[in-house]
Amino acid sequence: MSSHRLFRFPKPAWLNSANTRTAGVYAAGALFSLGFFLLIDVASWSRSPMNPSDPAVHVTFVDWIPGICSALGMLVINSIDKSRLSADSFSYSGNGVAWKARLVLFLGFALLAGGLAGSVVVLVLKYIVAEYVWPTIWMGVGNVIANGLVMLSSAVLWVAQNMEDEYTYNLAL
Amino acid sequence: MAGIKTIIGLSFVLAIGFLLVILSAALFKNYLTLLVVATYVIAPLPNWICGRAANPDDFMESSGSGVVDFGRFLTGFFVVMGIALPALLYHSATIQAGAAVMSVVGGLLIYGTIISFTLFFQEDQDF
Repeated sequence: MSSHRLFRFPKPAWLNSANTRTAGVYAAGALFSLGFFLLIDVASWSRSPMNPSDPAVHVTFVDWIPGICSALGMLVINSIDKSRLSADSFSYSGNGVAWKARLVLFLGFALLAGGLAGSVVVLVLKYIVAEYVWPTIWMGVGNVIANGLVMLSSAVLWVAQNMEDEYTYNLAL
Repeated sequence: MAGIKTIIGLSFVLAIGFLLVILSAALFKNYLTLLVVATYVIAPLPNWICGRAANPDDFMESSGSGVVDFGRFLTGFFVVMGIALPALLYHSATIQAGAAVMSVVGGLLIYGTIISFTLFFQEDQDF
């Protein structure tokens, strides 16, 4: 196993334990919660007396679309069974399961990246081009941070689940 | 091992946590911070439910751990929600800074009590 290593530094041993995997899943939930409540914070802040913009600027449905896309993408990515990605190498699971899995996974990643890009688009087109100053521009910046956090949470969950596969594999051998 | 002192200490901490949260609601005449208690009380529930629903000893069946992971994800979500909710309410000027700080500290005390209680008394149920 170790002779197949490519890099000089070995993977640390704690990365393969069940505890690290559990902590990774908890951290993914925490990161998603941070992103979700950042979105809610932006929406509630926009309708609160803290919002000082004089021609009133509020969050509209346009600001919600990137967050919805990110959350959908995260749902799609993490509901795929990761072991199906290499399923075509086994002869008994034919019918292009891996191909379908890759297609759905691609859709998920496109939704996730589209959510992040869309939040940047909202920030630039709605807030920066209109030359709003700091307290108002928070509605755009918070949106970008929220989508980034959802993406980060998705990545952490992905890594944690792959860790689990290797852990199970080591245990099965 | 968990003795009578542990129970007394944990109940003291729980009472202080509830005191802080109720004070943060009652002192400022704004009862939205009581949501923190509800959040922390339902936070360990997904873990327990999904732990019952799946069989963690079954290593060959990969569908079981998905349910457990979902429960852990929801628990992490609720724990951060207990901190994020007062911060959100404070940021949108619905509650004051003192109420936010008190409810966060009280909520953390309550959740710490729940966690340490399950840690101390888990050995009795396991075999």
